[in-house]
Amino acid sequence: MSPAELPPPPGVDGTSLAGTTPYVISAEENRALCASLGAAAAADGTAHPIYFFIATQVGMGQTVAGLCALCDFDVEEGPVIASSSVTFSHALMTEQPYRVTGEINSLVRKRSRTFGVMDVLEYALRLSLPDGQPVLETINVWMLPRRSLA
Amino acid sequence: MNGGRAPSSGAALAVGTRLPPYSIAAVDPESMKLWAAFLHDPNPIHLDPRAVQAKGLGDKVINQGPANLAYVITMLQRAFPGSTLVSLAARYAGSVFAEDTVQAGGTIVEVAGEASGVRIRCDVWLRANERDPAITGQAVLVLPKE
Repeated sequence: MSPAELPPPPGVDGTSLAGTTPYVISAEENRALCASLGAAAAADGTAHPIYFFIATQVGMGQTVAGLCALCDFDVEEGPVIASSSVTFSHALMTEQPYRVTGEINSLVRKRSRTFGVMDVLEYALRLSLPDGQPVLETINVWMLPRRSLA
Repeated sequence: MNGGRAPSSGAALAVGTRLPPYSIAAVDPESMKLWAAFLHDPNPIHLDPRAVQAKGLGDKVINQGPANLAYVITMLQRAFPGSTLVSLAARYAGSVFAEDTVQAGGTIVEVAGEASGVRIRCDVWLRANERDPAITGQAVLVLPKE
């Protein structure tokens, strides 16, 4: 089957990933997370920057399984995270409610030496303060193996 | 800009400077259970070695990618105390398994003065047991004026 003969992926570009409830980084969880990294939590209420990933991923309107399902992909098949990027406008703080918005940018089907066929899912998520002030934007890319199409 | 130093870190702020590495002697599988809760991610490959074996991925549980990235960020925080992380782009290039020894490191590739302080761009990486990098990427930080 040539690339042109592959069936198209589901049309999910632009699907909203907005969260329904604000996400709050608990100070207690931040301490536990920092401890797991062998680091001390900041005394000024600043959260570990890795919460860019956690807050957006947990606070978006879909679980990872739900996001995969939108792409007609069973999470049990094993999505593989490929890359993450983030740009901060402000540091993350504990006990601060954050609003999560975002959308799927693209789902592209392609041949893969590793998986045979895979869909490359790219989505953007943003955190903002309750008054709308932007805090960060992150883009994640996942590979969804489509071994049955190989 | 040459000849400056990151506050308290001892790292010279010059292009080519290697950042002090940050190491974890052995990745703790118990920590993966914590991260599964942090991430709301029940994927069994992080929790049950049998799930890893069933997928042909090895025989030890696999650390979560964001946890690996957090080691890199922690390395940056130690190298540049008081800095602000402006941006980070990372590629997840490989797996880290339970009991692996991991080391995060980096190299300064650009230093520029600006109104708010010194902007530093670094190449960053994470290696496990001397294998090829599990993470590669680039970070930009700003050190405030002293």
